[in-house]
Amino acid sequence: MINKIGSLWESFQEEVGLLEKQADVLNLKAKYIGKKGLISEVMKGLKDASIEEKKLIGPKSNEVKKNIETSIQEKLKDIQIKEMNEKLEKEKIDFSVRDSNLDLGLNSGGIHPVHQIQRSIEDIFLSMGFEVLDGPHIETEHYNFEALNIPETHPARDMQDTFWFKDKAHLLRTHTSTIQIRGMEERKPPFAFVGPGKVFRCERIDATHESCFHQLEGMMVGENINTGHLIYFMKTLLKEIFQKDMEVRLRPGYFPFVEPGFELDIRWKKPDPKDEDARHSGWLELLPCGMVHPNVLKAGGVDPDKYTGFAFGLGLDRLVMVNYKMDDIRYLHKGDLRFNTQFSHF
Amino acid sequence: MLISLNWIKDFIDIPESENIHDLANKFTMTTAEVEEVKKVNAHLDIIKVVEITEIEKHPEADKLNLVTFNIGDSTARVVCGAPNVKPGLKVPYAAIGTVLPGGFKLEPKKIRGILSEGMLCSETELGLGDGSSGLMELDAGATLGQSLKEYLNQSSDTLIDVDNKSLTHRPDLWGYYGIAREFSAIYKTPLRDSFNSDWVSSVESKFNDQAAPKNIKVDPSSSCLGFWGVSLENIKVEKSPQWMIDRLEAVGLRAINNIVDISNYVMMELGMPMHIYDRDQIKGDITIKLASDGDKFTTLDEVERSLVATDTLISDDEKGLVLAGVMGGSSSGVNESTKNIFIEVANWKAEEVRKTSTRLGLRTDSSTRFEKSLDLNLCYRSLLRAIEIVFKVCPEAKIVGKPVYDGQKIDDTRQEIKTSVKYINKILGLELSSDNIKEIFNSLDFEVSGDDQLHIKVPTYRATKDIQGQHDLAEEIGRVVGYDTIPIESPKLAVNPVRLTPYKEIERKVQDFMSLNAKSLEVLSYPLVGEKLLKKSSWPDLNVDLQLVNAISVEQDRMRPSLIPSFLEMAAVNAKNFSNFSFFEWGRSYLPNTEKFFEERNIVGLLNYSKTENKFIDTLNSTEKFLNFLGLNYKIQKSSKRPNPLVAANWKGLHPDEMVDIVVRGQTLGAAFSVHPMVLRDFKIKGKISMLMLDLTDFCKKKTTKTHKYSAISKFPSSQFDCTVLVPVGSAADECLSVSKKLKNKDLLSLKIVQVFALNEEFNAVTLRFNFGNINHTLEASVIKSYEEQVMSELEKIGFKLKV
Repeated sequence: MINKIGSLWESFQEEVGLLEKQADVLNLKAKYIGKKGLISEVMKGLKDASIEEKKLIGPKSNEVKKNIETSIQEKLKDIQIKEMNEKLEKEKIDFSVRDSNLDLGLNSGGIHPVHQIQRSIEDIFLSMGFEVLDGPHIETEHYNFEALNIPETHPARDMQDTFWFKDKAHLLRTHTSTIQIRGMEERKPPFAFVGPGKVFRCERIDATHESCFHQLEGMMVGENINTGHLIYFMKTLLKEIFQKDMEVRLRPGYFPFVEPGFELDIRWKKPDPKDEDARHSGWLELLPCGMVHPNVLKAGGVDPDKYTGFAFGLGLDRLVMVNYKMDDIRYLHKGDLRFNTQFSHF
Repeated sequence: MLISLNWIKDFIDIPESENIHDLANKFTMTTAEVEEVKKVNAHLDIIKVVEITEIEKHPEADKLNLVTFNIGDSTARVVCGAPNVKPGLKVPYAAIGTVLPGGFKLEPKKIRGILSEGMLCSETELGLGDGSSGLMELDAGATLGQSLKEYLNQSSDTLIDVDNKSLTHRPDLWGYYGIAREFSAIYKTPLRDSFNSDWVSSVESKFNDQAAPKNIKVDPSSSCLGFWGVSLENIKVEKSPQWMIDRLEAVGLRAINNIVDISNYVMMELGMPMHIYDRDQIKGDITIKLASDGDKFTTLDEVERSLVATDTLISDDEKGLVLAGVMGGSSSGVNESTKNIFIEVANWKAEEVRKTSTRLGLRTDSSTRFEKSLDLNLCYRSLLRAIEIVFKVCPEAKIVGKPVYDGQKIDDTRQEIKTSVKYINKILGLELSSDNIKEIFNSLDFEVSGDDQLHIKVPTYRATKDIQGQHDLAEEIGRVVGYDTIPIESPKLAVNPVRLTPYKEIERKVQDFMSLNAKSLEVLSYPLVGEKLLKKSSWPDLNVDLQLVNAISVEQDRMRPSLIPSFLEMAAVNAKNFSNFSFFEWGRSYLPNTEKFFEERNIVGLLNYSKTENKFIDTLNSTEKFLNFLGLNYKIQKSSKRPNPLVAANWKGLHPDEMVDIVVRGQTLGAAFSVHPMVLRDFKIKGKISMLMLDLTDFCKKKTTKTHKYSAISKFPSSQFDCTVLVPVGSAADECLSVSKKLKNKDLLSLKIVQVFALNEEFNAVTLRFNFGNINHTLEASVIKSYEEQVMSELEKIGFKLKV
């Protein structure tokens, strides 16, 4: 009898494998494990079996019934999946047609490259405890010149071609150094801030000159701030921008609002060691900086006998151009989106 | 400024082994930026004397010869077309690799199939004059293989070109003696005391007791600080000696004659400009006084200049002679027939010279130097140096009497500044010893006393403007020690939290939202615009109050009153390239203000363009999401009675219908609108443009934060109810939403439009979805039923019929 049950399981497996329709599967289920199914048929002979046999047959028949039930359920699921897949096949979409290869016009968004670099530099300084300030574009002579130790008669006024308004008292700021004064006026030392923003120069526009461009000013004032600290922050800044240690050099530079004043150059190209004539070349002038002139501290309401500080300026447009190897500064303000989209986020 | 190293070597010994590039680099690192290093006549060092030994005809060309020549220890052959080749002639030879004047480098080259090993040269090719086209013929006795420089006995000089801007603050560096002093500090080698008291006495010994022929009168109101003059006679004007010509020409000055060249020579050497007159052209005495408005004066360059009352003029009894500190006149200059001269060495107020030269647009070597504030004490030394050289180039010359002077009292007392070793080290971040510091000061001619507390006496030539306080002294030490010796370290400061300012925070929110959510590209437009653009945009306000006086172009001659015209201009550029696009700017508009003169407003502008579609709804959707993102409660209002500060009602660019005001906290802060096709046509834009202009100035000062409120989520199901009403065509579909207020039903959770369907010419069918629910219990079917009835009756009451 046990053998009979075993062979039923085998014949079931053969039969179920051949079926493809739900109804046939349900019929097969009835055929084997229905009330009048083949298993029940065999079990009718149980009464004639020996006690030992009975002990074995009971569990065996239950096991086979369970297996058949599981197998039926699996088979039904397979059939449903198959049906669903047939339906899905009919609903098929062509997912190769995506935005990225559709003509949707211009479908990208992004921040202007100057502002991208500006933001990353702001964040570098923010992480080092510097605030981020700005001020008005239209300024008075006081903030743009006098307070920065550039009196009217100073030859340094020649170095900056200034846009003037009709009242002869207002002008467009020629540098973000105006933010130094405004920043100092509102603070008590020690403090540190950077001030990015637009500046204006009365210059003919060409591939390397703009009448409107962007600077980032920085200042730190405290009781014992020295030139070594200035170099520390500049080196840190450059390391963060270029993601590697940059070789820098500090040489004398003249700016009326700092004393001592420096030009900070970065090593941009390693010179050929064989070329004796070029061993001092490969420097790129990047950052005018210096120790804040006592007159400037005074103009900002800071006692120069007690406090010292450093200040620096950075040309953001220049940095963008160096970074992306751009050859024409005019693209920055042109608004030709064929340019802007090259820097988009997506 | 070009600096001649030969000249510098008059005053200082530079170590022989020093490479010129190292020298230039040291100057850059210590004093001022060297832009270029140039060797004068470097090619003459390489070009050799050769003797022609053999001439053959070029087989391929009639006019060319193959010329073989002897260099001394070897021979070479070139292809040569010069007519004067003959055996035995000695000529200059430039080998391959030589760079000739004009930058032409000789490369190995075949001429008509035959290799030429360099070139035999003419005078013109060597930059030695405009000789004939033939080869330069050298003396028969010339040594073969000798360099042409040796043959010509030419001095070789090296020039370093220093950026003038980096000398702005250093009047003492506008003469080579001052430059030599810097090198003396750099190389720790003494500066020759060429102008000491012995030297002064030796020149003064030429003075005599004759009466000075010209008196000088300086009006104290003029720009004159002091005026020295001396008369000389028995002058013979001729070509300057070669050494003087060489020096002047090496640094780019044209040699004229022995007398005029002296003034340039002394100016280059000592940094003090001077003027030499033909004394016979001076009628009577010399007066220095302010000009009168409208005075005319013809300068040396034959241009008649109109003077103003702040210009100072040097005049004789009849006429103006020199425009003080700027340029001489055409009438009193030295010429070939000059016999008697008058040398003027004067000093002028820097600001006044600058004013005059700027006004006249006349920048000269002289005005450039006076503008830097020269030292009055330098005048007398320069005068003596000029006299010394006159005797050198014109030995028969005689002084008439002695120099005369008028002007401020000459004071050579050195200004004293107190500083300390501690202060200098504190500023620089160094730990220099007192001796080290004192040594550097001494090398720069500063007198020092004291040990820790230092008393520094500043040389008069550094005290005119440059050195004013102890910070300036710190710079002197820093630059000579070398800034690269400063240890780099972080300051030790208290750590405090830092936050972005509200302005920065808004800026970043604008950039983030617009780029990521509105899928827009950030642009930067010029804050400066021109009348043409404003008119093209039909912008009603030309912003004439914020016009510049010195604009570079009419396209950028005033501040923009709005971002809109610039946006239209940019859209026109891009509409040619894209079927649709979106850009934004976080920029400022500039408005006149009677009290503060101006007002800057921080504006976010968004522009959406499509060739075919209407982007107004997209623009409004972005607007609403953006205001939510900022956490601002707002109202979008159509046809408000208040004027909108961002777009004037009379602006022709406004679409007649697609225009809403954005009201935040009771104030109209923005506008969203489509641009009128007429204005688009003026910009030749085909398609549709919608814009948002939002003024966020008020939120740049105080932080705005989006606040989120929590409420418990109901555990009981809510119930939806849809109904469709008829809304007349031309009315806003959202008008029927006002029913929610009428209902006053606390269980109404939301009411939204599901769809709008154009039913017929008269009505649109608007399907509304009401969602009812209660936090505490499930709404009974009967309650819902009653709500539905309530909805329908209220809708009827406010005039919306149900669609049956």
